[in-house]
Amino acid sequence: MNVKAAVDNVNFYYGDHRALKNLTIPIADKQVTALIGPSGCGKSTFLRCFNRMHDLQPGTRYEGSITLHPDNLNLIGPGVDPIEVRMRIGMVFQKPNPFPKSIFENVAYGLRLRGVRNRATLAEEVEKALRGAALWDEAKDRLQDSALALSGGQMQRLCIARALATTPEILLFDEPTSALDPIATAKIEELISTLRDQVTVLIVTHNMQQAARVSDYTAFMYLGELIEFDEAAKIFTNPSKKATEDYITGRYG
Amino acid sequence: MPAMLDSDPVEGHTARAFDVALSELRLHLVSMGGLAIDQVATAVRALLDNDDQLARLVLSRESLINDFERTIDREAFRLIALHQPVASDLRMAKAASRIVIELERVGDEAKKIARFASRLASGEPQGPVRAVARFLRNMADLTAGMLREAVRALDEADPELARGVTSRDKELDEEFAAALRQLLTLAMQDQRFLSATIDTVFALKGMERIGDHAKNIAEQVVFVASGEDLRHMKKAGARSESNSDPLPRSPEEG
Repeated sequence: MNVKAAVDNVNFYYGDHRALKNLTIPIADKQVTALIGPSGCGKSTFLRCFNRMHDLQPGTRYEGSITLHPDNLNLIGPGVDPIEVRMRIGMVFQKPNPFPKSIFENVAYGLRLRGVRNRATLAEEVEKALRGAALWDEAKDRLQDSALALSGGQMQRLCIARALATTPEILLFDEPTSALDPIATAKIEELISTLRDQVTVLIVTHNMQQAARVSDYTAFMYLGELIEFDEAAKIFTNPSKKATEDYITGRYG
Repeated sequence: MPAMLDSDPVEGHTARAFDVALSELRLHLVSMGGLAIDQVATAVRALLDNDDQLARLVLSRESLINDFERTIDREAFRLIALHQPVASDLRMAKAASRIVIELERVGDEAKKIARFASRLASGEPQGPVRAVARFLRNMADLTAGMLREAVRALDEADPELARGVTSRDKELDEEFAAALRQLLTLAMQDQRFLSATIDTVFALKGMERIGDHAKNIAEQVVFVASGEDLRHMKKAGARSESNSDPLPRSPEEG
């Protein structure tokens, strides 16, 4: 496995509460890694460590390291600027959250933040990101329309395009299809499968079949601990741990 | 973490309907297995006791085996479509589809033996059967034992019991070879019985095939329990090959 990010002995605290316990997982480069586990197992907490989302909340604390390769940047290191981290690690949330601006401006936003001013460059990059998110054909004739006029599935793909525009190294998905209908879900899943050519993907999902369909590697977490990590095909046909088996076969709880 | 029931691998799902579907699938498989065992035992008795009535009983019950086959196939198919099983549940659904084929073939072998028994009762020479009666009886005991244990291993989800079945195939092969030698000697001595000799060879071969089916069923039971593929493994040491495979290779064509 070619490792993009090495998670080593990560602990995370909300105040005194230790939400993540000694997590050590290799995140494979340009592959899809799914995080599964029951509610409260820490998978979203873990995902949010990658782009330092917890920094916005007082009283939180990281331990250990998430080393981004090839330049060995510890994403949760104390001296590392969270803004720089977020430039390199994109995120897509459960509910599509486009800005109340045009489709074009949503995608161009991150580029403008980075100081891109040239209109031709912006137009080129926006098109590239929209194509990457499989939204170009539907949006090319209405780039100046409000993003809020799009359907739920289109909005989610717009959010993916917005994340892709800044060419992140890792893209985080936090239950990206739980608010979408089956067709929009299938489009996002297909998109995630194609994204692995250009970016490392880490996805949190409650949908076992989705994890089985889209991921190359799957990590099962429980009560803040990693129970099992393996190739998805192994996890879903013959997991090594009984706890994993109980969870994925629906015997949990 | 709340645990599933160790004793019964089909139970413990949050969705009770899933438990019910898996339990019914296994129950029908075991029932079909019980019928197949009885078909074999009855057919062999018909052959050795020259009892046409028993032979007819076997032939009349063949349709029940076929009904089981259709029902179980449909249930396994529905289970996959409606419950999207994974891990051991998926292995069970897949194994069920395979085991049902094995049991149906066991039924076919019993049917062929019963037909032969019927022909014997109607006047076909009995010399060859009498000459290898001891082997037929031994092979019948062996195959019935293997089949019974394979079905019990399935019923009780006991991979160790199943492993015992897979190791007994050799004994059966040796009996078959000895019986063949005996028949060959007979055929060379007296060629009037050639047709009945060929029928007897088929009966012996049928018995040997039933042992193979029992072994295949037992291999599926091990696959359901551990994901391990025992097919075509001559030596215990060769097992490590399948264990190193991240994907369990499902026992398919055995």
